[in-house]
Amino acid sequence: MNIKNGLLAFICCALTATSLAGSGLTGQPAPDFALKSASGDNLRLSEYRGNVVMVNFWATWCGPCRQEMPLLDELYSRYERVGFTLLGVNIDDDSRKAMNMISELGVNFPVLFDDRKEVSKLYEVDAMPVTVIIDREGNVRFIHQGYKPGYEEHYLDQVRTLLRE
Amino acid sequence: MTRRILIGCGISLMLVFGLATAQDVESVSSDASLAASIAAGAEDEASRDKFRSLDQDVQELKKEVLDLNRDLFLLEEELLFPANSQVAFFISMDVGEYFELDSVNLKIDGKEVSNYLYTEREVGALIRGGVHRMHMANLKTGDHELIAIFTGKGPQARDYRRGATLTFSKGIGAKYLELEITDRVVKQQPEFVIKEWE
Repeated sequence: MNIKNGLLAFICCALTATSLAGSGLTGQPAPDFALKSASGDNLRLSEYRGNVVMVNFWATWCGPCRQEMPLLDELYSRYERVGFTLLGVNIDDDSRKAMNMISELGVNFPVLFDDRKEVSKLYEVDAMPVTVIIDREGNVRFIHQGYKPGYEEHYLDQVRTLLRE
Repeated sequence: MTRRILIGCGISLMLVFGLATAQDVESVSSDASLAASIAAGAEDEASRDKFRSLDQDVQELKKEVLDLNRDLFLLEEELLFPANSQVAFFISMDVGEYFELDSVNLKIDGKEVSNYLYTEREVGALIRGGVHRMHMANLKTGDHELIAIFTGKGPQARDYRRGATLTFSKGIGAKYLELEITDRVVKQQPEFVIKEWE
């Protein structure tokens, strides 16, 4: 019984570690990109150097994204004035669907459209959502694949840690 | 009487000696504290020197890293883009009153090689006289066709999309092409010109 419990705990830990560790981009300079935003402006990641940046890849067909986005928006409103930026990268083919969802959820953070999927390839996005946290120096520090309730606590801790650096 | 005088002299001598000894002790102790403070000062100075030299070492190391980084960058450029087959494409803008640049798409011999989105800051830098190296490629000698498609906002903030084509000949040696956006005041329209640098 004890061995079984131990094994289960090990598997759970391993799964959590995998989902939180992310890919080989961690510790590397964040690949730069420029995308058209919902406001019509083009935004380039490297222009936010000096800020802690969270890049959240999402799609309209992704349920957890819908759950996560209002929580991310709260984080954005709270820390925006102290040097935190959140860029939501939508990967739908049709940006109108994304626009509808943004207005439905009432989120305020900048949303960009990666309809050519170039940026999601650059960041090796193979799950939905994927959240990448980049430090003030422009290096990828944390990658979260997927979303489960409670992940927002990790985001909060990590963003606060990077803001303090 | 003589005895009393002798005793008095003895006492006064003893007093004088005692005073002198006390002064000696005082001067010795003040000398010791002076020496201690000099030693502490010297130690401070030594640690400050040590810290200064450590700081210098760090600065030198930083400079070496930067130099190394630059050398590696140049080496990489030379390896990836050998000068003889190199072609570079630059974007420049003059005034920009009739055109608000959004993106430039480059095609060489019918194949898309670059699509660059310009942010507000980048457009501002171009208007202030900046030149952007948009793309670098290696091409064989011979004729090549370049198609550049510019998108943005034209006069009266209307969506604007224009193309410019140039057939250029690539000889031996590097080639530099400038894609220039200018205002044609007479027509109140933007103009897109591709120039070859000599």
